[in-house]
Amino acid sequence: MSQGSVILKLVSLPISIILICLGIMTILGGHITPGGGFQGGAMIASGIILSILVYGIGNSPLELSHTYIEVLESVGALGFVIFGLIGLFVGGFFLYNVGADLLNVVPQSIQSVLHYPDVTNAGIIPYLNIFVGLKVFVGLSSIVIAFAGFKKLTEEGE
Amino acid sequence: MLSLGPIIFGLILGLLIGSQLKLNVRDTHFTLGAFIIILIAGIIVAWQSGNFPFYTDLPLSTAFLSALIGIFVGKLIFARSK
Repeated sequence: MSQGSVILKLVSLPISIILICLGIMTILGGHITPGGGFQGGAMIASGIILSILVYGIGNSPLELSHTYIEVLESVGALGFVIFGLIGLFVGGFFLYNVGADLLNVVPQSIQSVLHYPDVTNAGIIPYLNIFVGLKVFVGLSSIVIAFAGFKKLTEEGE
Repeated sequence: MLSLGPIIFGLILGLLIGSQLKLNVRDTHFTLGAFIIILIAGIIVAWQSGNFPFYTDLPLSTAFLSALIGIFVGKLIFARSK
């Protein structure tokens, strides 16, 4: 599975780290710039995939464990639903933006807790981006990890 | 005023991903110098990205830089060798 070139192995980890940082930057700018959770998560996953393709599945420096994938996938989905339910119970609508509170129905204490700390009045949108980003990042990575694992198993079986 | 959102959450996401970084690769050897080079390259990328996403507090991308620092800190604190 892994490529033999030493140069490839030397440059791919730094490129993976830079790709991951660009993905995180895209996630965190998703509420005011093009991009967001899905795109940023896919960029982070591309960093992981590059590392797995170059170093191989058992030898990659960026290899996600089963528990890690399971926990992040669950946190991503649960976080999104929990923020939706907070909006439902506090504001009256599912996924109501309690941080921005356009209808002035949310108590000030809850609004200040869930307000994203930046100059824009984005409310809970950045948090939703982060949850979607986590879910997409581990989802896409786990697909490639599974494919690489299947290929390795097939090669070992032959 | 410095926007804390991208700094805090960039650091958290970087810590999450950096905790999975293991450097016991068979064929290559990444030393401390390699990570200093990656940090310098990252600072240049953050500088060239400008004040993304449109916060005018600093002339570089705080989300990118905090993610990079988070990855390194996560590697140092949480990552275990294989």
